[in-house]
Amino acid sequence: MENRVRELREKHGWSQGELGERLDVSRQTINAIETGKYDPSLPLAFKIARLFGSRIETIFDPGK
Amino acid sequence: MTRFSNKRYNVHVLLIMAVYVLLVFFEWPHVKAVTDPVLKIVLALVPALPVVGVIVLMGARVLRSDELQQRLHLIALGAATGLVAALSVVFSFLCAAHVLNLAAEDVLFWIFPALCLVYGLSHMALTRRYGGRGC
Repeated sequence: MENRVRELREKHGWSQGELGERLDVSRQTINAIETGKYDPSLPLAFKIARLFGSRIETIFDPGK
Repeated sequence: MTRFSNKRYNVHVLLIMAVYVLLVFFEWPHVKAVTDPVLKIVLALVPALPVVGVIVLMGARVLRSDELQQRLHLIALGAATGLVAALSVVFSFLCAAHVLNLAAEDVLFWIFPALCLVYGLSHMALTRRYGGRGC
Protein backbone atom coordinates (compact mmCIF):
# COMPACT_ATOMS: atom_id res chain seq x y z
CA MET A 1 0.00 0.00 0.00
CA GLU A 2 1.35 3.42 -0.94
CA ASN A 3 1.03 6.39 1.39
CA ARG A 4 1.91 10.08 1.77
CA VAL A 5 2.98 9.92 5.40
CA ARG A 6 6.60 10.95 4.71
CA GLU A 7 5.48 13.84 2.51
CA LEU A 8 3.00 15.12 5.12
CA ARG A 9 5.46 14.66 7.98
CA GLU A 10 8.17 16.63 6.16
CA LYS A 11 5.60 19.32 5.29
CA HIS A 12 5.00 19.76 9.04
CA GLY A 13 8.74 19.76 9.73
CA TRP A 14 8.57 16.78 12.09
CA SER A 15 11.16 14.04 12.47
CA GLN A 16 10.07 10.39 12.49
CA GLY A 17 10.59 10.36 16.26
CA GLU A 18 8.40 13.46 16.73
CA LEU A 19 5.60 11.99 14.62
CA GLY A 20 5.94 8.73 16.57
CA GLU A 21 5.52 10.62 19.85
CA ARG A 22 2.41 12.39 18.58
CA LEU A 23 0.91 9.06 17.51
CA ASP A 24 2.24 7.10 20.54
CA VAL A 25 4.17 4.65 18.35
CA SER A 26 7.90 4.04 17.92
CA ARG A 27 10.15 5.74 15.35
CA GLN A 28 10.68 2.31 13.83
CA THR A 29 6.93 1.96 13.20
CA ILE A 30 6.82 5.36 11.44
CA ASN A 31 9.82 4.34 9.31
CA ALA A 32 8.20 1.00 8.41
CA ILE A 33 4.95 2.75 7.42
CA GLU A 34 6.74 5.39 5.32
CA THR A 35 8.82 2.81 3.46
CA GLY A 36 5.74 0.64 2.82
CA LYS A 37 7.11 -2.27 4.84
CA TYR A 38 4.19 -2.15 7.25
CA ASP A 39 0.55 -1.25 6.71
CA PRO A 40 -0.91 0.37 9.85
CA SER A 41 -4.07 -0.90 11.52
CA LEU A 42 -7.30 0.98 10.80
CA PRO A 43 -7.26 2.81 14.19
CA LEU A 44 -3.66 3.97 13.60
CA ALA A 45 -4.44 4.99 10.01
CA PHE A 46 -7.38 7.10 11.28
CA LYS A 47 -5.14 8.61 13.96
CA ILE A 48 -2.62 9.58 11.27
CA ALA A 49 -5.36 11.07 9.08
CA ARG A 50 -6.79 13.04 12.01
CA LEU A 51 -3.34 14.36 12.96
CA PHE A 52 -2.72 15.65 9.44
CA GLY A 53 -6.31 16.91 9.10
CA SER A 54 -6.88 14.80 5.98
CA ARG A 55 -9.20 12.04 4.88
CA ILE A 56 -7.76 8.55 5.22
CA GLU A 57 -8.06 7.81 1.48
CA THR A 58 -6.03 10.90 0.59
CA ILE A 59 -3.11 9.54 2.64
CA PHE A 60 -3.30 5.79 2.00
CA ASP A 61 -3.71 4.29 -1.44
CA PRO A 62 -4.31 0.54 -1.52
CA GLY A 63 -3.44 0.51 -5.26
CA LYS A 64 -5.01 -1.93 -7.72
CA MET B 1 -0.05 2.38 29.11
CA THR B 2 3.31 4.06 28.59
CA ARG B 3 5.79 2.21 26.41
CA PHE B 4 8.97 0.66 27.84
CA SER B 5 12.09 2.34 26.47
CA ASN B 6 14.81 -0.10 25.41
CA LYS B 7 17.21 1.50 27.91
CA ARG B 8 14.78 1.18 30.83
CA TYR B 9 13.96 -2.42 29.94
CA ASN B 10 17.64 -3.36 29.58
CA VAL B 11 18.52 -1.77 32.95
CA HIS B 12 15.70 -3.68 34.68
CA VAL B 13 16.72 -6.99 33.07
CA LEU B 14 20.41 -6.45 33.88
CA LEU B 15 19.65 -5.71 37.54
CA ILE B 16 17.43 -8.77 37.89
CA MET B 17 19.93 -11.01 36.13
CA ALA B 18 22.72 -9.69 38.39
CA VAL B 19 20.64 -10.86 41.38
CA TYR B 20 20.16 -14.22 39.64
CA VAL B 21 23.91 -14.65 39.08
CA LEU B 22 24.62 -13.81 42.73
CA LEU B 23 22.04 -16.38 43.87
CA VAL B 24 23.41 -19.09 41.56
CA PHE B 25 26.99 -18.52 42.77
CA PHE B 26 26.41 -17.89 46.48
CA GLU B 27 23.06 -19.46 47.46
CA TRP B 28 22.57 -22.43 45.13
CA PRO B 29 25.75 -24.37 46.13
CA HIS B 30 24.45 -24.61 49.73
CA VAL B 31 21.00 -26.03 48.84
CA LYS B 32 22.13 -29.66 48.62
CA ALA B 33 23.55 -29.51 52.15
CA VAL B 34 20.24 -28.38 53.68
CA THR B 35 18.38 -31.24 55.39
CA ASP B 36 15.08 -29.58 56.31
CA PRO B 37 12.71 -30.45 53.38
CA VAL B 38 10.67 -27.20 53.54
CA LEU B 39 13.76 -24.99 53.70
CA LYS B 40 15.30 -27.04 50.88
CA ILE B 41 12.28 -26.40 48.64
CA VAL B 42 12.30 -22.68 49.45
CA LEU B 43 16.04 -22.30 48.83
CA ALA B 44 15.83 -24.37 45.64
CA LEU B 45 13.11 -22.10 44.27
CA VAL B 46 14.74 -18.77 45.20
CA PRO B 47 16.90 -18.58 42.00
CA ALA B 48 13.74 -19.13 39.92
CA LEU B 49 12.23 -15.86 41.23
CA PRO B 50 14.48 -13.50 39.20
CA VAL B 51 13.81 -15.59 36.08
CA VAL B 52 10.06 -15.29 36.66
CA GLY B 53 10.63 -11.54 37.15
CA VAL B 54 12.32 -11.30 33.74
CA ILE B 55 9.42 -13.21 32.13
CA VAL B 56 6.96 -10.75 33.71
CA LEU B 57 9.07 -7.84 32.40
CA MET B 58 9.12 -9.38 28.92
CA GLY B 59 5.32 -9.69 29.02
CA ALA B 60 4.93 -6.08 30.20
CA ARG B 61 7.23 -4.91 27.43
CA VAL B 62 5.18 -6.68 24.75
CA LEU B 63 1.88 -5.39 26.19
CA ARG B 64 3.16 -1.82 26.33
CA SER B 65 4.66 -1.79 22.83
CA ASP B 66 2.93 -0.42 19.73
CA GLU B 67 1.19 -2.54 17.10
CA LEU B 68 4.20 -3.21 14.86
CA GLN B 69 6.45 -4.01 17.82
CA GLN B 70 3.81 -6.38 19.23
CA ARG B 71 3.64 -8.13 15.87
CA LEU B 72 7.44 -8.53 15.79
CA HIS B 73 7.54 -9.82 19.38
CA LEU B 74 4.79 -12.35 18.68
CA ILE B 75 6.38 -13.62 15.44
CA ALA B 76 9.74 -13.96 17.24
CA LEU B 77 8.06 -15.73 20.17
CA GLY B 78 6.24 -18.05 17.76
CA ALA B 79 9.52 -18.89 15.99
CA ALA B 80 11.24 -19.55 19.32
CA THR B 81 8.40 -21.72 20.63
CA GLY B 82 8.23 -23.71 17.40
CA LEU B 83 11.97 -24.33 17.17
CA VAL B 84 12.42 -25.21 20.84
CA ALA B 85 9.35 -27.50 20.74
CA ALA B 86 10.73 -29.27 17.66
CA LEU B 87 14.17 -29.64 19.28
CA SER B 88 12.64 -30.96 22.51
CA VAL B 89 10.74 -33.65 20.57
CA VAL B 90 13.92 -34.62 18.65
CA PHE B 91 15.98 -34.81 21.86
CA SER B 92 13.20 -36.71 23.67
CA PHE B 93 13.15 -39.42 21.00
CA LEU B 94 16.95 -39.61 20.91
CA CYS B 95 17.02 -39.99 24.71
CA ALA B 96 14.18 -42.54 24.70
CA ALA B 97 16.10 -44.59 22.12
CA HIS B 98 19.23 -44.31 24.35
CA VAL B 99 21.14 -42.63 21.49
CA LEU B 100 21.73 -39.70 23.87
CA ASN B 101 22.17 -40.07 27.59
CA LEU B 102 21.05 -36.74 29.04
CA ALA B 103 19.73 -36.09 32.54
CA ALA B 104 16.23 -34.57 32.54
CA GLU B 105 17.34 -31.75 34.85
CA ASP B 106 20.08 -30.70 32.41
CA VAL B 107 17.62 -30.61 29.50
CA LEU B 108 14.98 -28.68 31.49
CA PHE B 109 17.52 -26.07 32.54
CA TRP B 110 18.31 -25.29 28.88
CA ILE B 111 14.72 -24.80 27.67
CA PHE B 112 14.34 -21.20 28.88
CA PRO B 113 17.80 -20.00 27.72
CA ALA B 114 17.17 -21.67 24.32
CA LEU B 115 13.78 -19.92 24.05
CA CYS B 116 15.39 -16.58 24.93
CA LEU B 117 18.21 -17.09 22.44
CA VAL B 118 15.97 -17.95 19.47
CA TYR B 119 13.46 -15.25 20.49
CA GLY B 120 16.23 -12.63 20.68
CA LEU B 121 17.82 -13.59 17.35
CA SER B 122 14.44 -13.77 15.57
CA HIS B 123 13.40 -10.40 17.00
CA MET B 124 16.70 -8.85 15.93
CA ALA B 125 16.32 -10.16 12.37
CA LEU B 126 12.68 -9.01 12.15
CA THR B 127 13.51 -5.56 13.53
CA ARG B 128 16.21 -5.12 10.89
CA ARG B 129 13.78 -6.25 8.20
CA TYR B 130 11.30 -3.56 9.24
CA GLY B 131 13.90 -0.82 9.23
CA GLY B 132 14.97 -0.82 12.88
CA ARG B 133 18.41 -1.11 14.42
CA GLY B 134 18.02 -4.79 15.21
CA CYS B 135 17.92 -4.73 19.00
